[in-house]
Amino acid sequence: MSAHNRGTELDLSWISKIQVNHPAVLRRAEQIQARRTVKKEWQAAWLLKAVTFIDLTTLSGDDTSSNIQRLCYKAKYPIREDLLKALNMYDKGITTAAVCVYPARVCDTVKALKAAGCNIPVASVATGFPAGQTHLKTRLEEIRLAVEDGATEIDVVINRSLVLTGQWEALYDEIRQFRKACGEAHLKTILATGELGSLTNVYKASMIAMMAGSDFIKTSTGKETVNATFPVAIVMLRAIRDFFWKTGNKIGFKPAGGIRSAKDSLAWLSLVKEELGDEWLKPELFRIGASTLLSDIERQIYHHVTGRYAAYHDLPMS
Amino acid sequence: AGTTGARHHARLLLLIPFPNCLYLPQAWLDTQDRCLGHYVNGKWLKPEHRNSVPCQDPITGENLASCLQAQAEDVAAAVEAARTAFKSWSAHPGVVRAQHLVRLAKVIQKHQRLLWTLESLVTGRAVREVRDGDVQLAQQLLHYHAIQASTQEEALAGWEPMGVIGLILPPTFSFLEMMWRICPALAVGCTVVALVPPASPTPLLLAQLSGELGPFPGILNVISGPASLVPVLASQPGIQKVAFCGALEEGRALRRTLAGECAELGLALGTESLLLLTDTADVDSAVEGVVDAAWSDRGPGGLRLLIQESVWDEAMRRLQERMGRLRSGRGLDGAVDMGARGAAACDLVQRFVREAQSQGAQVFQAGDVPSEHPFYPPTLVSNLPPASPCARAEVPWPVVVASPFRTAKEALALANGTPRGGSASVWSERLGQALELGYGLQVGTVWINAHGLRDPSVPTGGCKESGCSWHGGPDGLYEYLRPSGTPARLSCLSKNLNYDTFGLAVPSTLPAGPEIGPSPAPPYGLFVGGRFQAPGARSSRPIQDSSGNLHGYVAEGGAKDIRGAVEAAHQAFPGWAGQSPGARAALLWALAAALERRKSTLASRLERQGVELKAAEAEVELSARRLRAWGARAQAQGHTLQVKDLWARGRAGQVGWGGAQTRGCEMSQAWGPAATPGRGLHFNMRFAWDIQTLSWAKPYFFLSFLETESRSVAQAGVQWRDLGSLQAPPPRFMPFSCPRLPTNFLFFLFFFIFSRDGISPC
Repeated sequence: MSAHNRGTELDLSWISKIQVNHPAVLRRAEQIQARRTVKKEWQAAWLLKAVTFIDLTTLSGDDTSSNIQRLCYKAKYPIREDLLKALNMYDKGITTAAVCVYPARVCDTVKALKAAGCNIPVASVATGFPAGQTHLKTRLEEIRLAVEDGATEIDVVINRSLVLTGQWEALYDEIRQFRKACGEAHLKTILATGELGSLTNVYKASMIAMMAGSDFIKTSTGKETVNATFPVAIVMLRAIRDFFWKTGNKIGFKPAGGIRSAKDSLAWLSLVKEELGDEWLKPELFRIGASTLLSDIERQIYHHVTGRYAAYHDLPMS
Repeated sequence: AGTTGARHHARLLLLIPFPNCLYLPQAWLDTQDRCLGHYVNGKWLKPEHRNSVPCQDPITGENLASCLQAQAEDVAAAVEAARTAFKSWSAHPGVVRAQHLVRLAKVIQKHQRLLWTLESLVTGRAVREVRDGDVQLAQQLLHYHAIQASTQEEALAGWEPMGVIGLILPPTFSFLEMMWRICPALAVGCTVVALVPPASPTPLLLAQLSGELGPFPGILNVISGPASLVPVLASQPGIQKVAFCGALEEGRALRRTLAGECAELGLALGTESLLLLTDTADVDSAVEGVVDAAWSDRGPGGLRLLIQESVWDEAMRRLQERMGRLRSGRGLDGAVDMGARGAAACDLVQRFVREAQSQGAQVFQAGDVPSEHPFYPPTLVSNLPPASPCARAEVPWPVVVASPFRTAKEALALANGTPRGGSASVWSERLGQALELGYGLQVGTVWINAHGLRDPSVPTGGCKESGCSWHGGPDGLYEYLRPSGTPARLSCLSKNLNYDTFGLAVPSTLPAGPEIGPSPAPPYGLFVGGRFQAPGARSSRPIQDSSGNLHGYVAEGGAKDIRGAVEAAHQAFPGWAGQSPGARAALLWALAAALERRKSTLASRLERQGVELKAAEAEVELSARRLRAWGARAQAQGHTLQVKDLWARGRAGQVGWGGAQTRGCEMSQAWGPAATPGRGLHFNMRFAWDIQTLSWAKPYFFLSFLETESRSVAQAGVQWRDLGSLQAPPPRFMPFSCPRLPTNFLFFLFFFIFSRDGISPC
């Protein structure tokens, strides 16, 4: 993992002049999905690459140690062995980028990954996920406990009310405190863009989160009605680029929620490639938060290798 | 995690060309034995003893097929087929035509892959743009015009199709240009003969698809042939209108050739576009707008980019960054932004860039572009001295010429300081500023916070040197309609008139005898700028009444007088346009009333010219009625605003309104209904307003016409007797029919009456 984003002083002039034109961004989002078509073995390579970006996630009320264990095994062996062998990629150590769980399941996850013999990072959501509507004190405590349990990445949700009421200083301060509470762990800030009201707010919240020291900015919790969408992603990626131009710090990007098909994942990769460039296409700077995406990718790779589509029972479940 | 193989990485970082299947276009060409003829009357026409031209892949130079060049008799055969087809096609009710167009749309839908691969193969444009843009829009156009056709009897009562339309397409064009013109023409009942340059198979394929539909094989005929056939096509009996799109010089030449001929001419010239980027814009999105305009194979030409000084650095940085990610390659590759357009286009842009560099410009090029010949990288030219020849020249594809401006006023001065007036986009998040700039631009189409959107229902066109024809929307229909009962147009070239010296030579008129005209005689002189003045030549011309007696003398005008009159009209324009729509309407109504008061005088004067009294009275009455109708239109258009899906799922909203009259109205007033959706109206609006209206309301169009084509001035003078066809005008009536309308006569008449009544014009 790269070094932390130290953040910068709050500079409201970075967000005061910003203009985001909604329909123009929508048009760009529409175009980007049609402009880069990859097929055949190049598609397979892109899909394998996409696997390495996945934060394999389970965030359900009924998570227990047994399904966490299964998930961790899947994270270590995301694609069936014979398929990887056919692609000559067996020895390349393809795993997902991280496993993402609720704070209470961090211990189980760390244990299961240890048992599987790998050092995939464990990410934990925190700070009153998914609504963020708890006291600041408990939210900070949640982060500390998750870090203590062994989470090396913390996905925090921001307080949307601060964005909607334009309290940027307060938002900055809160994320600053999250950053501090994380210690050595990486801070991924979930903006919950489906609840921010406008793309301009998305840009501003992204910029504040980066100034306050987030290592990643993440689109959504996966629990809102609108989750990761391309227009929102375009605005966030542009904010990341602006922040990079201003400070030289590369901040990561994580879309999450609603990314289910292999085709979607390809579009996300090409979106990041187009807006930020190849240097962002590595797990340190790009993640996809998903749970069912992996099985679809596996199916597509199965099809690429065998020429047939797999039934769901042909592939190991996660 | 993330330690993946080198091969894997290498593959990921490259986008590998994925050629779309070439099988379909090749197979289609094989059905013609790789020899394309002409498609006339539902059949392939392959006459013998014709020269053939190879149709080549613009990138590899590989020979795809050979195309037969038409000769005059082939053109005649095509026109004859279209004339025959016109009789039945125009006689059918609109609903039948609508059904046929819908069927054509379905056929296109069924064969769209063939269409897009063929088009991309022969033009070199990115297949994505053809597939997702052109082919879809072609179907929308057919559907839109089918609906128009089905309501034609009610909505366009009093109008009839012109007849056979000659369509002339330039060497490089997209088949969409053809669709924009044939759809309205076919919808209203015209039939079409398209003359396409050799080696363009897509129009032939379209004609084949249409011809194979059955009952109306002759409505769309396509012949391929050299430009030398243009006059032949235009002078065929029965051709009522020639629609041309292409380069400026060719358009001028065509205008010269057709001056005085019977065919009407609709021109759409030039390819350059303009983008105005203000400091309140979403710069990243505006950069995408630049990509859409110049580097995505959507727009046909280059772009002039005006950037507000305060965001110049930021915009240039983002632009250059974005350029680095553009990808060029073979058009059929599904992952390219732009293709190549053949050797000629490449040479043109190379020459332009070299010249710009020698004139002191900075040139920035970037992108993933093959280094072989017909490919040319996206190019950004800046620091071009404003007075340099390159700054005046038309910007070729794929070049963007960027220059800074300081204020909105300066932006307008720079943007309007070019003879071209095609399309432009304004990027600003401030509604007031966007509208101010949008209204101020002298171009045919303005998009706000978007570039290059096309919709069948919004009319687009050009002004100034960019031409005078409109397509899309209702305006596109009127291009191919004329008031019912209009006599067919006849050639009006006068054999005994020397057009080279017309209006220039000093006439020599001797007194021809005593006048028997009315007493008191009308004031002698020309009425220009609100007063009578003596003609420059200081001489007179005798006019005779119907029985051949000397009726009186009128002032003998010349070219200088015309210039003076146009200048006066020019000066009057701002004042007139600045009037509120209501005031303009009132003035027109007052004029109509004044006309009616003098009905008997005017009628008797016409009678002496040999018109029957009844017809003369009807003519005066029609004139008054027409004035009233236009007056009503002026007022109505002040408040009409067509709002089209402002927020609809990812599509840009469009606002279109027509009529230059609206320009004069209070913006807030016009904007009233549109401003209601909520505050912060920062979405895309597309205005398409048209410049076409009565010539005296927009005199500068007349002027530009004069400047570009002095020969037609003669035509204007000769043709003023078209007055007989007066009818209630349609909304936004015929563009550029001004020279043919009785311009001089009306000028005279209007101002004459105004001055008598003591109403000061403007």
